[in-house]
Amino acid sequence: MILLWWMQIRSVIRLEMKKTFFARRGLWIYILALLPLLLFMGHDFVMSREQARRQRLASQSERQLTYPDLLGVQPGMTGQDVIARLGKPPRRYHWNERRQSDPTSLVLVLHESFHYSDGTNDLYVDLADGKVTNANLREGYNLSEDIVVFAGVFQFFYLRLAIFFGCLGIFMNLFRGEILDKSLHFYFLEPIRREVLMVGKFLAGLLATCIIFGTSELLQILVFATNYSPNVRDLYLYQNHGLASAAAYLGVTVLACLGYGAFFLASGMLFRNPILPAAGILIWEAVNPFLPSLLQKFSVIYYLKALCPVDIPSPPGTSPVLALLVSNSDPVSAPVAIMGVVVVAMLVLYVSSLQVRRMEINYTTE
Amino acid sequence: MSDRIVFQDVSKFYGEILGVNRVNLSIPPGVTSLVGPNGSGKTTLMNLMTGLVRPTRGRVQVLEYTPDEPEKLFAILGYSTQFDSFPKGLSGFQFVSSYLRLAGKDSDTADQLAWRAIERVGLSDAAPRSVASYSKGMRQRIRLAQALCRNPRVLVLDEPLNGLDPLARAEMIALFRAVAADGCYVIISSHILHEVDAISDQVILLSNGYVVAEGQIHSVRNEIQEHPAQILIRCNRPREFAAKLMVNEQTIEVRIHNDERGLLIKTRDPDRFYLTLNHMAMNGIEIESVAPADDDVNSVYEYLIGNDEVVR
Repeated sequence: MILLWWMQIRSVIRLEMKKTFFARRGLWIYILALLPLLLFMGHDFVMSREQARRQRLASQSERQLTYPDLLGVQPGMTGQDVIARLGKPPRRYHWNERRQSDPTSLVLVLHESFHYSDGTNDLYVDLADGKVTNANLREGYNLSEDIVVFAGVFQFFYLRLAIFFGCLGIFMNLFRGEILDKSLHFYFLEPIRREVLMVGKFLAGLLATCIIFGTSELLQILVFATNYSPNVRDLYLYQNHGLASAAAYLGVTVLACLGYGAFFLASGMLFRNPILPAAGILIWEAVNPFLPSLLQKFSVIYYLKALCPVDIPSPPGTSPVLALLVSNSDPVSAPVAIMGVVVVAMLVLYVSSLQVRRMEINYTTE
Repeated sequence: MSDRIVFQDVSKFYGEILGVNRVNLSIPPGVTSLVGPNGSGKTTLMNLMTGLVRPTRGRVQVLEYTPDEPEKLFAILGYSTQFDSFPKGLSGFQFVSSYLRLAGKDSDTADQLAWRAIERVGLSDAAPRSVASYSKGMRQRIRLAQALCRNPRVLVLDEPLNGLDPLARAEMIALFRAVAADGCYVIISSHILHEVDAISDQVILLSNGYVVAEGQIHSVRNEIQEHPAQILIRCNRPREFAAKLMVNEQTIEVRIHNDERGLLIKTRDPDRFYLTLNHMAMNGIEIESVAPADDDVNSVYEYLIGNDEVVR
């Protein structure tokens, strides 16, 4: 019997995959999934141009500079000291300032600006009357900041909007779309348990969303990592838990598809108008941090937030209410969070299985 | 184990709208036609039989299974619905074959069964083409192929002749008869009464959600007492024969045919009339043929339901 069900599930998946991947009405889901990738690719493009500019600047220096060389420049040093330390600046600007020293006379103050680079970082040195007033070292990358930005894009756009609405588009249509196309009855007229059909459709949706959003997430991580020089990339991946974070992001993506997929599959069977349940679930997920502790557990985002590998620090001055959006007020361990999503999804799928057994084909009332 | 398709006090309401009401039926093997005007409940009965809708009240059983067990029921039942829509992006062959695989058939078996069914409905040439490019008649035939592909014991066909040309209709009618001859149950709904007449072993007449009559056409006709039976007699001296017939106590009315070569007789007891016919036909009156003139679905329908929305 199990073998038969498995064969039937595979047949349902085969039928559904074509519809899911190549449906014209699903185009926006691809766009949604690829938006963060485009963002990171755009960032990558800008960063690579900057890097090329720094390399050019470094090659114009009198000698090969290093990061410690750049760090060594301090306010109070003379211009000669700087040149002795770093060589003639490849970019040098100057201007004069007429400053009133007393009511009757003006003094001419020479301002200079030296611009150095070691190929990765920029150093802007401001001098006034031959003395360093400001040494501004701009690092070409700020890994820890970039990691937080990536986490922010993942949590606030990818998880809460892209995957949420992507799952809506795919899972809601598994039954509702076929009712609108008037083709669901073909499934119902086959010797297959309706519960098996539902599981097959759900797995097809899960597979499709995992492939679409998982691939996009993987590419985002790749683009994010290739942004850096090999040394920094190795530092991030192997010493800064980069690989573990990547695996966690992919895992959260899969769990999000599982959790939201279950909700939207049920909604597609229970409601004629998908907008209302979608809005309801969106609001429920959004207000989740403000709900009583027990109710929080009946949402997907509650568990997913706990599994996100990077904590997003609240900017200084953020109200405690907004800070709740970022982290769980009642943190849960990873195993509990994974089980939580799975249990919530299973509960919803159980309700769906009861519904699919009772479903009638009555296209004229749709 | 039941060998009938049974409806026990079945009612179906769509909200406040009546689908069918208090239907009790026991359908034997052979071709059974559901006849009635639009909205009479034909499709609802078929959908109830196949579990696409659930009864508000009562119980449906198809041989040994109920429609609540689709995994068992559809192993013996094929249903060609009236819904003229298909899953997108499939060829006719893929349509039949892919859904066969849902039944757990392996790829080779599914392909073989699909081809066989497609050949039976005469659509082999068009099978590799996309269903989206099919004419109405071809879509009708591919749906029939899908209903037939598992060689079901029960074949439910909702308006299966719609959209078919006359030749294809004749082929399909022959196919339905062949399936029924194998001991299968073929349930057909149709508006086209002369075709129902040609196909059916028994009819179920529906009107406004109620079963008005069921059974073999002849039996149903005999039950309709308020309309005397009409018999057409072709003979050489119709006026003389008419005078003799009027003396017979079973005769109610006699009309001489316009061509002066026949008579239309109305009688309340056709069986006794036939028995006395030989005695009356003497003295040089030669009878060419005797045939009932209203012992068909067409007349039964008209007597019981009226003549709205029916194609003869």
